[in-house]
Amino acid sequence: MERTKEFRHIGKATPRKEGRQIVTGAVKYIDDLTLPGMLYGKVLRSPHAHALINKIDTTKAERAAGVKAVLTHENAPDWKFGIPRVVALLDKKVRYAGDAVAIVAAESEELALAALELIEVEYEPLKAVYDIDEATAEGAPDLYEEFPGNLLPTQSIAFGPNTLKEVVLGDVERGFAEADLIYEANTSYDNIPNPLPIEPPGVIARWDSPNELTVWSASQSVSWHRFMMMGKMGFPEIRSIGTQCGGSFGSKNHSPQPFFYAAALAKATGAPVKMLYSKEEHFGAFVLRLGSRFTGKIGLKRDGTVTAIEGEWLVDTGAFSDQAQTQIAVGLGELQLVIRCQNWRVIPKVICTNRAPSGIVRGFGGQELESSILPVFMEAISKEGLDPVDFLKNNFVKPGEGYLWREGNWWVCRGQDYAKAVEEGAKAFGWDEKWKGWLTPSSTDGHKRRGIGVGVHGNADVGEDESEAYVRLTPDGGAVIHANVAESGMGQRSSLIKMVAETLNLPLEKVTMTEPDTMVAPFEFGLTGSRGTWAVGTAVITAAEDALKKLHELAAPRLGVKAEELESENGIIRVKGSDAAQISWRKVIGVFHTVTGHGFFEPDFSMPNFMMLFVEVEVDTGTGQVTLERVVAATDAGRIIDPPSLDGQIYGALGAAGLDTAIFEETVIDKRTGRNLNMNMIDYKWRTFEELPVFDNVILENPLPSHRFGAIGIGEISTSPGPAAVLMAVSNAIGTRLSSYPLAPEKILAAVKSAGEVK
Amino acid sequence: MRYFSHQNVATASDGVKSAIECEGKSCFIAGGTDLLGILKDDLLPSYPEKVINIKTIEGLGNVEGREGGARIGALAKLSALERDPTIIELFPALAESAASVATPEIRNAATLGGNLCQDTRCWYYRYPHHMGGRMDCPRKGSGPCHAVLGDNRYHSVIGGKRCFAPCPSDTAIALAALGATVEVIGADGERSLPVEDLYSPMGNTLRGGEILTNVDIPAQPKGSVQGFKKFTVRKPIDFAIVSVGARITALEGKVSEARIFIGGVAPGPYRDEGVENYLRRKPLDSQSIATASKKALLKAKPLSMNAYKIDIARSLIAELLEELTR
Repeated sequence: MERTKEFRHIGKATPRKEGRQIVTGAVKYIDDLTLPGMLYGKVLRSPHAHALINKIDTTKAERAAGVKAVLTHENAPDWKFGIPRVVALLDKKVRYAGDAVAIVAAESEELALAALELIEVEYEPLKAVYDIDEATAEGAPDLYEEFPGNLLPTQSIAFGPNTLKEVVLGDVERGFAEADLIYEANTSYDNIPNPLPIEPPGVIARWDSPNELTVWSASQSVSWHRFMMMGKMGFPEIRSIGTQCGGSFGSKNHSPQPFFYAAALAKATGAPVKMLYSKEEHFGAFVLRLGSRFTGKIGLKRDGTVTAIEGEWLVDTGAFSDQAQTQIAVGLGELQLVIRCQNWRVIPKVICTNRAPSGIVRGFGGQELESSILPVFMEAISKEGLDPVDFLKNNFVKPGEGYLWREGNWWVCRGQDYAKAVEEGAKAFGWDEKWKGWLTPSSTDGHKRRGIGVGVHGNADVGEDESEAYVRLTPDGGAVIHANVAESGMGQRSSLIKMVAETLNLPLEKVTMTEPDTMVAPFEFGLTGSRGTWAVGTAVITAAEDALKKLHELAAPRLGVKAEELESENGIIRVKGSDAAQISWRKVIGVFHTVTGHGFFEPDFSMPNFMMLFVEVEVDTGTGQVTLERVVAATDAGRIIDPPSLDGQIYGALGAAGLDTAIFEETVIDKRTGRNLNMNMIDYKWRTFEELPVFDNVILENPLPSHRFGAIGIGEISTSPGPAAVLMAVSNAIGTRLSSYPLAPEKILAAVKSAGEVK
Repeated sequence: MRYFSHQNVATASDGVKSAIECEGKSCFIAGGTDLLGILKDDLLPSYPEKVINIKTIEGLGNVEGREGGARIGALAKLSALERDPTIIELFPALAESAASVATPEIRNAATLGGNLCQDTRCWYYRYPHHMGGRMDCPRKGSGPCHAVLGDNRYHSVIGGKRCFAPCPSDTAIALAALGATVEVIGADGERSLPVEDLYSPMGNTLRGGEILTNVDIPAQPKGSVQGFKKFTVRKPIDFAIVSVGARITALEGKVSEARIFIGGVAPGPYRDEGVENYLRRKPLDSQSIATASKKALLKAKPLSMNAYKIDIARSLIAELLEELTR
């Protein structure tokens, strides 16, 4: 791997800025935080998947020891979730087993839990629907009166008035007429895995006045608890403060349910309230991945040129959606990056069902769509015997080609051709040696058979949304970054500090960053997608440059030169190329002053990132066990800011509702009761450290026109190519096409059996 | 977790006495790795008023060699069993089964007695109360078995009655293959029973207040080989989807006795006489193994989603017997 040598910090493996505090337990998570007079909130949850609450009596609970407030749909604030915003904080209707019925604030968690037992509820159970087919069947019960047929509007204004709700481009009839092969299929990626960061979501809310709310939370993007929640609550002033965040994988960008419950109970009691979800609530009442099904047809020429794509993308969002439409908009964009085609008609539908809601999960629409549509393309090209690596390499968007992005605009790629990364990845993996053709194992040893597969993903979100930052230079030759950036495991705070230290030519230890707090730092959208490196990076770099410029302007008259002639190192300013004239920051700034620069980033969707995963599996045809043996990730980051952090992000392909959703990660919903059956880490299969495959990263560094370091983020995207790649690998290993996830032993054994004696 | 009182007892009979005084409103704790989860998730309709700590009982944590066999105290840690030289030498099947349980952290706390007596892993039974209310079932005293018409991928394929949860214990499978017995003390004194008889479809057969105190493994027959194998989705942590414990005794190149017990498929260790009978008087070779393993679970009546366990059991038996020929 190429590593950069011309930089002081960039590209070097430096200790994670907050690493020591994290591993010694010094950092404070939401569970560690207690405010004076704080109460504890708990939620009474529904036994029914779909029911009306005919009567609810909270008298006994209200009188119970230590109980300070009990809220139900009868007395809760009129705050609403959802796109569109119709889902009440607490409703007269429950829509999944585990849905909130009432919330209680008490002096301890135990007292709150005990009070829940005293709430008497009369339910009128209704017929429930658990999947896309049931929800859209004739006569299916509606979850919402507002949405007959359980169809939510696909149009939203999340990304402006033209938010992408479909891809209709060119002329699909002509496209199919030009095709040599038309392939029709219906593939689902509907095992609704849970991203499951270690720390469950939690929020502490405190009303400082009737219209001023302060919230502490474990969030990936702390500002969301201000700007996204204000509008849902009648625009109170909200100050959002981030605690150390024990992982997120997208799911804890914000935590609307615990937020609302804590804020409502804090309002009712006049005291701060902590609402920390249990692991069971984290499993069963927070965020699942969207269910996804592509049903339609594609047209191809013999050489693998895609001539037309037409079909419906059915998206199952569970009981409600706060983010389905936004994920659809981004997913539709991402598919255009992956497949080059002139003629499109892909129309999504958003369907609600009686299970816990879907929300944000790493992969954000693209993983869902690609995991259900790429297998269709793969089956089609297998008919022509085409190599999947070549097909995916050729189809990925090239500079000069365009695509519709989430806000509805047409963007032309000014990034790079990632063909080189594909080739290097394939070489490292040994693709050419291992590839024996479709539905053919790479090797066989008795009933153990190996197969290989490949998947791809790209995202233009590296330049999404707005960022602002201040960099404040201090007279002691240090710098403080005011940026509202949380640490949710990726190390981005540390990497941003590196970028500023590099820009200011300071030692790393002289640069610090404020804790995430919307009152302390200017607007920052947050660490969504892979935007940290370019978008947030640009804001802090330009803030540092602005500050340095101001400093040099102050210093210039003292040294008798122009500001442009100056440079700075370790808090000393000197004339470039000369050691003769120099002056310290302290003298220039003055002990009782600081110098502050302001930096910005504006959205730019013209530079997609890229990730290809090559996987090798071993399948035991006697037991149906699938073992992931090897993964090679291939990408180009422009420039690597921090090698271990980047490697870590890519290894994150495993776990967190990523690649392993093809092997064993899934949420199991009982179709008779709607109960979530695997709300624990035994029955929910997360890969353990004992079973890590050999995992190599091939990361090229061809600088991109982003910011002064030429880097773009790729942190988010390693999960997405995984499921389709594994599906291909296992199919090749056993010689039978598989088309649903996850590949549990029973599925493998059934496939092996139905294929007859395995050759 | 709700409040309860906690009592240390010094002898097994004190434990029994204390439990009987509580009239069913108590439970025993040893390693606690199973019990604490049950209490935290508030699974059961009744919650113990008292938790009786039996870890404080002296002398129940040892492994003693006895005339080629062994007596193992119920408080012996699984981590100790997987490392104990006597167990490794004489009863490798038990050492393997102990090592296959959960994770090192859990094995450092979990006891042999607890592994044998742990409650079912049925995911309906284990549904956490705080997520909409516990799910009642025959094992809890009322209601239907949800697994019969529900998601029964992990349930029993044979021997279920009213409840279809399989025995979750790995050590029970190995111990059954070794012909071990368990010693139990209760209000009426001590009794001992074969490990496989500790289980019924509705849970273990311990009577109110009884404590499992010791496990006795007899000396193994001359010329016998033994082994244990477990199939899980993930290699560590998971409970067995299927496991197999086997002891094969050969005389002059032919099988004189076979003990084959299958785990994960029945309420207790399932003794597969079909496989055993086929092997008897045959040489243990690839041919006999291939045929014998196909005779496993011929009497199974799988539920809607778990017939695959039969295939896995057959593959596992074949793999294990092949290993025993080496």
